[in-house]
Amino acid sequence: MSSDDTLEKISVPSAPITPWRMYLIFTLFAVGFIYIFCGLFYRQLIQSQDLIDQANLQSETIVWRPPTRGKIVDRNNVTLVENRVRWSVKANLLGLEGEIDREYRALVKAEKAKESTIKINYEILHQEARVNVLNRWLKKIWFVIDASNQKKSPSEKKRVKFLADSPERQVNVTALAKHMRDSRIFKFTLISDLTFPELRNQISDEEADRSVARFIEQFPVDGPITIESDMIRSYPYGSMACHTLGYVKDTNQLPNDFDPNFEISFKKLSKSKYTGKIGAEGLEQTHDYTLKGSSGWERWTKTSAGYKRELLESYPQREGSQVRLSLDVNIQLAAEKALTAIKDNAGNPLPSAAVMLDVNTGEILAIASLPNYNPNRLASKVTIKYFDEIQEQGGWMNRATQGLYAPGSTYKLITAIAGMRSGKIDYDDILDCGRSLWIGNHEFVEHEPYGFGQVDVEKMLAISCNVWNYRVGLMVGPDLLAQEARRFGLDKTLLKTNPNIMGAENTSQYEIPSPARKMVIPDANFKRSVGQGNWTSGDTANTSIGQGFILTTPLHMACFAASVARGETRTTPTIFHDPLRIPYHEDSRPIGLNRNQLNAIREGMVRCVTEGTARSIQIPGFQFAAKTGTSEYFKNGQKAHLAWIIGYAPAKNPKVAFAVLVEGQNDTNTWGGVTAGPVGQAMVKEWLNSKNKQSEE
Amino acid sequence: MNNHQKGAKASYIALAVFILIWISGTSALHRFTKETFAEFQAPALQIVSKGGDLARYWELKSRSNEELIAASRDLARINAALELRIHSMDDIRRENTRLRENARYTANSEFLTVVARVISRDSSSWWQKIIIRKGRTDGIRPGSPVVFSNRVIGRVSAVHLNISEVDLVTSPTFRCTAFLIGDEKRRIVYVRGDAANSLSPNKAKVTAIPIDYNPPTGQPIKVLTTGLGGVFPSGLILGEVDGGIRMSTDDNYKVADLNPAKDLNMIEEVSVLVPQYPTAHEILLAPSEKIKLEEFK
Repeated sequence: MSSDDTLEKISVPSAPITPWRMYLIFTLFAVGFIYIFCGLFYRQLIQSQDLIDQANLQSETIVWRPPTRGKIVDRNNVTLVENRVRWSVKANLLGLEGEIDREYRALVKAEKAKESTIKINYEILHQEARVNVLNRWLKKIWFVIDASNQKKSPSEKKRVKFLADSPERQVNVTALAKHMRDSRIFKFTLISDLTFPELRNQISDEEADRSVARFIEQFPVDGPITIESDMIRSYPYGSMACHTLGYVKDTNQLPNDFDPNFEISFKKLSKSKYTGKIGAEGLEQTHDYTLKGSSGWERWTKTSAGYKRELLESYPQREGSQVRLSLDVNIQLAAEKALTAIKDNAGNPLPSAAVMLDVNTGEILAIASLPNYNPNRLASKVTIKYFDEIQEQGGWMNRATQGLYAPGSTYKLITAIAGMRSGKIDYDDILDCGRSLWIGNHEFVEHEPYGFGQVDVEKMLAISCNVWNYRVGLMVGPDLLAQEARRFGLDKTLLKTNPNIMGAENTSQYEIPSPARKMVIPDANFKRSVGQGNWTSGDTANTSIGQGFILTTPLHMACFAASVARGETRTTPTIFHDPLRIPYHEDSRPIGLNRNQLNAIREGMVRCVTEGTARSIQIPGFQFAAKTGTSEYFKNGQKAHLAWIIGYAPAKNPKVAFAVLVEGQNDTNTWGGVTAGPVGQAMVKEWLNSKNKQSEE
Repeated sequence: MNNHQKGAKASYIALAVFILIWISGTSALHRFTKETFAEFQAPALQIVSKGGDLARYWELKSRSNEELIAASRDLARINAALELRIHSMDDIRRENTRLRENARYTANSEFLTVVARVISRDSSSWWQKIIIRKGRTDGIRPGSPVVFSNRVIGRVSAVHLNISEVDLVTSPTFRCTAFLIGDEKRRIVYVRGDAANSLSPNKAKVTAIPIDYNPPTGQPIKVLTTGLGGVFPSGLILGEVDGGIRMSTDDNYKVADLNPAKDLNMIEEVSVLVPQYPTAHEILLAPSEKIKLEEFK
């Protein structure tokens, strides 16, 4: 081929481009551009707000701020329940991501090197990597906070390595998995409370503070492990009045009393799981509404992995209101100290209860029950171990309000009042009381081998004569006896919330949870209803001395003592203090005795202390009234004794009334005057001290 | 490509290589570089500091005889007063020794005191760090508390051969526990540096003050070290609460601003309290390959 041919070929024009193809291409491009332009226009201008909202929804979250609960104080404004700072050690998992990734890669590499046929579960390896990394950090944290690591003075060297058995020495794998699932927005808690309240029986306050101080001062400041503080419930007196005060537990139930505009503004936004506290027992439960406060919230942006990034806005939480109780901390402490001193043969405190209340107002000054528990150990977390420990000891039961017991000889006051009100006897009638009384084929014996001889009402109450009561009980009959007990409200449920007080609609039905409701004042109908057959004279004799089927609580007996002290039939107890309270006792009537009869009852109770069954608890220079009781009950199939004492003080113009109960065991000697008496005496002495101090001030 | 372009290209390649090496380098390399830079810089800082001392010396030497006589007279008075105090201190020391002997108390002091001059303030940290003229060769250890008289200045954050860096009380990296004067229950509060910028006076913050804390009336609220953390001896003054105590934003506890006990910008000499044994803080600050917690005990 010549060069001319080549040139000719090159210069030959290609097939001419027809305009319609050009137009088609241009049109396609134009349509494409118009589509893109319209799309952009639509997205940028018309849809923009929706898209911004959508993006915000995906990148923002609401984090709850639970409120601080209100304080509980006693009648003199002494703090019984407050809040303390809880120092927690937390891990910022976002800051640990690099370290976790490295650990994860190492684990994967090690797994692949095994050449195993089992398929690798990468999710498990990821979790394992997190656990390994956090455990390494925990080791460092414990190295810092464990004071035994400090090589300092000889005294430091002697310090035992504390908290060696703390479960928080290792990462809780289940908690970590749950955290990654539900609460990734928060930091992960490695040590929930650096003061270790659950181990406070092993370490002192200073030792607890030391671990906080050591972490703050010795752990490197920069890094993914931080110390954070929040508030936690604190009970300065430990187990004192725990059944009344109660404790708190975790809740995920979101309260509905915070910012009213919240739902409108952030309805569609994702929200963190709410973790707050709710009252679980005692006043913490019944007055949760008052104490709990209102929640706050924070709006955060979050990373694609779900961790917190930037705080956008917040709404503050508000502390709960204060509740003022009628308790007097000094009398309460005295009662509990005296109860704790009553021990079984193994040296453990016997189950018991004590109540003291203001005769005029019904305000409870002390209400104690043993065994008890330390709510501080439940404040951070209710552990199954401690819960079961309390359960095993019977510590959950408030024996003062829930324990049902036969009142024993303290019931003889009812028999005497019933006898005089029915006209069967009078205050100066004398009955012949020998060593026993035969009723049918059964001999009902006196507690004194030779009997008491000639006995009137006063003497009967002083020496607690059984035969006198058998006789009067038979004279009065079971129906009148039961009627008299009911007149004093021994079968009525107590501590009902006053519906007239402000906020009562939001509180529980009762001031303290679950007061006893199944008190028994026996009569013929009752006996038949429980399938025990017909009522007999023997039943009447038993009832007349407070035994048999009859069941009531120590609080009822304290109210009964207060009613007798005032010369009325009912006392409405309350656990709340109101300095301006006008005494009001629901359904209360005059006692229905003439002056001589009432004086005989009161004088008999005074003689009980001066010369009778309670003579061992006299207070020199001070006169008060009491009635002791020792009833029998069956424990583990064997007989044991319940020790009782009820009374009021002073003898003239009474101000306080009290009741004490001690549950004897099969192998203990438990008697009303000797065992329960000193507790009543301790409460009266402490009340006198408080009164004297107030007069001095 | 001309020579100029070649040179530019080479410098860019060198920079890229350096960045690559820096990024891919181990933490040991980073630490080595930082340490080398500090050691390289140290003689210059020392020369500047000693030069300053020398200038001050010549400045004083140039004073007139009258001025020197007046200064000597003042000094003589101060000396006489100090002599008296020394005598009373001697009595106290003798009494202390006697009591220790009676009580058979043989424990040694937990700290060795090293006095050091401040040679520089680290401007990169907005004055929250000072550099002192004592280092590893003088026995300084990281984490040691730094004091002036009985007032806390800060704590040693890094130790080099002849110089050390000190985080001041106002530094965000400083934190410790404290007691407040007047709190009978002796509840611990949390003190941490809170320097936001250099334009306003530098302060620290006291948090976790219990709500029921009642400050003493008519006297400043002093903030004292607890001695519980194993770093600071107890009873040293961290400062005074400035501007009253207020509620925290979440109403949980109270917070307050803390004025440091000593004007940190004017300080020229400090004492480093070197603990006799390494603290856990020091062990954890050590390079990771040196951390052997089990062997520490």
